[in-house]
Amino acid sequence: METRPARRALVTIVAALLTSLFLLFILGPVVGLVASGGSRGFATFTSDHELRSSLLLTAATATIATLLGILGGTPLAYLLARRAFPGRSVIAALTDLPLVIPHPVAGIALLLVLGRGSTVGGALYQAGLRVAGSTTGIACAMLFVSAPLYVSAAREAFARVDVRLESVARTLGDDAWRAFARVTLPLSARGLTAAAVVMWARAVSEFGAVVILTYNPKVASVLSYDRFTSYGLDEALPVAAVLVVFALIPLVMLRALRVERRFG
Amino acid sequence: MISLRAVSSANGSFRLTDVTLDVPQGEYGVVVGPAGAGKTTLLETIAGVVPLTAGRIVLGGEDVTRTPPEARRLAIVYQHAYLFPHLSVRANVEYGATNAAVVDDLCDRFGVNGLFERSVESLSGGERQLVALARALAHRPEVLLLDEPFSALDPRTRNIARRVLRTLYYERRFTVLHVTHDFAEAGLLGDVAIVIDRGRVVQKGTPEHVFRKPATPYIADFLGAENVFAGHAQPIRSEAPDWVAGTGETMVQQAVAFTTGGLTFYALGDVVPGPAHAVIRAEEISISAEPSMSSVQNQFRGRIVEIVPAGALTKVTIDASGTPIVAAVTARSVRELGLETGREVVAGFKAMAVHLC
Repeated sequence: METRPARRALVTIVAALLTSLFLLFILGPVVGLVASGGSRGFATFTSDHELRSSLLLTAATATIATLLGILGGTPLAYLLARRAFPGRSVIAALTDLPLVIPHPVAGIALLLVLGRGSTVGGALYQAGLRVAGSTTGIACAMLFVSAPLYVSAAREAFARVDVRLESVARTLGDDAWRAFARVTLPLSARGLTAAAVVMWARAVSEFGAVVILTYNPKVASVLSYDRFTSYGLDEALPVAAVLVVFALIPLVMLRALRVERRFG
Repeated sequence: MISLRAVSSANGSFRLTDVTLDVPQGEYGVVVGPAGAGKTTLLETIAGVVPLTAGRIVLGGEDVTRTPPEARRLAIVYQHAYLFPHLSVRANVEYGATNAAVVDDLCDRFGVNGLFERSVESLSGGERQLVALARALAHRPEVLLLDEPFSALDPRTRNIARRVLRTLYYERRFTVLHVTHDFAEAGLLGDVAIVIDRGRVVQKGTPEHVFRKPATPYIADFLGAENVFAGHAQPIRSEAPDWVAGTGETMVQQAVAFTTGGLTFYALGDVVPGPAHAVIRAEEISISAEPSMSSVQNQFRGRIVEIVPAGALTKVTIDASGTPIVAAVTARSVRELGLETGREVVAGFKAMAVHLC
């Protein structure tokens, strides 16, 4: 009779221990990084012009990529959530593909299509739009690797809005666009915002695809890598620490959205 | 007018197959059928939110088969109201409204004007349904589609909703198609009854006709007919010794001897000899202490095996030669006849009360 509570206590202790180790594993390096380089990073933030520029570039390109993702991904997410059509599961799987291929491989694939030597890249170059080795390239790489996160989360957000609410709106006189704007969009707005924040955060932290497509100008992740390979750990630490804090901003926003949703 | 011709559609696992029905202009149609029969799919197909795979839909004399939902001049009220959760009660009612005066009038009638500034999340189920009805009617539809709108309401709210809806219906004379699983409700409200099962229309007619003469034993059972007997039907000659031919309608129809278990009783119908079902509503069966000398053709002596009060009536089950016959009598009759379990009585019913299918 007494073995059961004892066994339960043992299981609890083991689970608590494993959870603590897991959290330590996740948080340890991040806390260590911020503790080691954070103060120096922020102290040199005003004087380190390259760091400031790379952070601005990272934020700007991630924002452009996110906006493009919203523009192209929202209709796709809606279609995947609402319409049954032949090949829907294939399209859904293809949309998720960038999530599972190594990001340097994604960069190589993009380079093949958008590099100056390719048909598309060559034509764009002729038209005055250089992709590889430019800000456009950075935005393209970020879009490629992070848009699937947006599409997937936006699809969930649309799926959570009962389709019968749209049906009621349609019978009350709204055409499909108006029903979307008056009912579906307001009801999925929080989910779509969260999806965009996740996409932006993922774009900010992207390295593998960006470094293949555009080494210069340097986004923050490339700068941190560059300083590490050129000057060693000591010089890379402040950049890396600032980048971690930078990436925390959207995560805090996301939590705030969720808390508001729960208690709002 | 609602008119469907050979309509087929699919919505997930629910399908409609070859549905043809008519609800004349300004009349009240009720659709009854078991859960999963395709009743909601039928309404959504008429509304245009579920696409047709075949057939034609005419509303108010206009072919709307390819018309989008917003141009069909109809409104739908679902069982779960589906109020817009991001809007206030007033904004919900105003959503498709033609003018503010209509909104005020409807909210007043349904008694929801005190809820205007409330969020829909804070409303009770009954309040939501009243708001949903007001919202649909504020759109001034020519066709109103109702999907079990009263099923989740408490009796008081249900009565308010029914009364207001009926008043508005008589005032405006829009055409209604009302899905319900409650045949009493169908009889109370409907001019036309449509029975649907597994995506097909299995019977249509006036509610009384469907209730009294279900087309199949399944419909009879679904509609709550207590006495559904499987047996053998045999048309008989009018000069048969036990049969006294009547006049008028009786003469037109054929006399039939129906045998089930140890009983043989008379019915009127147009059946071929062979296996059949006989349906007799409990209200059509009388109970007496001794055989009566009236025109009742079918009288069977038996023993009472069960007495169950069921609202205003009491259901009495009599075992007649091994066949249970259920009669519905008033509590007063139970008292006056001294009915009790084990007592021997006579159950009687007219040949015309027997419906063969």
